Amino acid sequence: MLAIEVRNLHKRYGQVVAVDDVSLSVDEGEIVGVLGRNGAGKTTTVEAIAGLRRPDRGTVRVLGLDPHRDRARVRQVLGVQLQSSALHSALTVRELVGLYRSFYATGADPDKLIEAVGLTGSRGTRFEKLSGGQQQRLSIALALVGNPRVALLDELTTGLDPEARRHIWSMVEDLRAGGVTVLLVSHLMEEVERLCDRVALIDQGRVVAVDTPVGLIAAAGLAQRVRFRAARGFDPTVLDRLPDVTGVEVAGEQVTVTGDGELLHNVSTALVHAGVVATETRLERATLDDAFLALTGRPFAQENS
Amino acid sequence: MTSQTDIAVHRPGPRAWLNLIRAETKMVVRDTAGLLIPIGLPLLILVMNGLGASTQELPGLDGLTAFDVYVIPIVIAIVVATIGVVNMPSFLAYYRRTGVLRRLAVTPAHPAMVLAAQVVTSIVQTTVGIVIALTVAMLAFDANPPRNPGMALAVVVLAALAMYAVGILIAAVAPTGNAAVAIGLVLFFGMGATGGMFGPVVNLPDAVARVGEVLPFGAVTAAVGDAWAGQTPESLHLISLVAAIVLSSLGAARFFRWE
Repeated sequence: MLAIEVRNLHKRYGQVVAVDDVSLSVDEGEIVGVLGRNGAGKTTTVEAIAGLRRPDRGTVRVLGLDPHRDRARVRQVLGVQLQSSALHSALTVRELVGLYRSFYATGADPDKLIEAVGLTGSRGTRFEKLSGGQQQRLSIALALVGNPRVALLDELTTGLDPEARRHIWSMVEDLRAGGVTVLLVSHLMEEVERLCDRVALIDQGRVVAVDTPVGLIAAAGLAQRVRFRAARGFDPTVLDRLPDVTGVEVAGEQVTVTGDGELLHNVSTALVHAGVVATETRLERATLDDAFLALTGRPFAQENS
Repeated sequence: MTSQTDIAVHRPGPRAWLNLIRAETKMVVRDTAGLLIPIGLPLLILVMNGLGASTQELPGLDGLTAFDVYVIPIVIAIVVATIGVVNMPSFLAYYRRTGVLRRLAVTPAHPAMVLAAQVVTSIVQTTVGIVIALTVAMLAFDANPPRNPGMALAVVVLAALAMYAVGILIAAVAPTGNAAVAIGLVLFFGMGATGGMFGPVVNLPDAVARVGEVLPFGAVTAAVGDAWAGQTPESLHLISLVAAIVLSSLGAARFFRWE
């Protein structure tokens, strides 16, 4: 059975179409990333799955249940981390985790959960006195306090330092090991590449591509690049004739070869045969960032920086 | 559509309610400034009037003084109004504005539980505020207990409901917590000024006094005063309070948004 099923979701606010037509299926136990620039419709999609928004058209199912009609059931098994929502400002970390724990029939031990997100030292601190990163950790703890079968995590590690980020990532990996389904909205390609089994690319309210991170990169049809340094006067015709090479660029001592197939091996062999001494040779694969750009046709960072 | 029988329906139980009420209480108690007004302001008014000359027995009231039938009702009205009209809406509007209600909406707890917990907390605060004020009144100023305690209690309960209903209406229409405080304070002082908070209503222009009398603050002071004197409150005042409850609740139900 599908953990999350979104079919032809359409949502507009007044004249603004937030989500045009989004369909998405997530199997139980899967971690699926949702990538897209600001305003692409990611958060609205998540809010529709969480039951915070009623779709104008289309259907949403969580473990086969309608988040509105079966509210009470869905809420027990769905953990949600919302972007930017506050909590009772004068309550402490421990009080908030305890409060949210009491809403669920079953759930995590509050103290262990607080420890897992690294907030043990701040358990007596009021929400309003927490730093942004600490609030983010608390928000993750509250999403998981009911031991959800499905977790929606919107901007999971925004505001966290690299160490905390890696710590939270390993928590998500533990969730996977426990069979929890995760839908992860993210801007961080590294996060998505590391955690997600599949990635859905949303652009202008539509799903542009769904694939594994590796598959997406492959689907973008991006060439590999081999870079190396060679003595001045390097003759590019040495590499031009290789079957898999599509281009050679020489800039001073820096040579960049683009192509596909066993590019690195073919280039190295050809260089050895030609007696060229190449140093600092490295293969650059396309990243998810590159794939994003290629598949949506516009730079990713522009609107997010 | 497949039906999911393995997921049991579970609604938050008594522990969740208790935790939420405790949470709301902590929010109120830890907000020192917010707690000062409903406890401090009535005491101030009480002491100022108590030190004045209003402790003479009034004719025909069986030993009751002006302090008993005018000052105590005003003090009770202040407690009920500051909590209901100023404090409660500021919390609720703040919760909505900052996303507290939204966050609760994705848990098994319904945001309406917060509303209910706020009302419970407000009842506790009101009780504490009134008990403190009455204790001071009796110990320091020899105030007399109400001649008709049952009636007085019933009127106070009605008064609290009316003020809470107005407060929830304010929370429904105010966009932010600050706006809610502003609207609440304007309403509180407006109703208070026309309802006798700053001096006897006989000193007010007749038309103003007429309006003030049917607004919740004036209606509360008049009805509590009557109950203290052992008389049945005038139906005009009781009807005003009931009208405030009904109209405000309808308005709140129409305009209240969870986010």
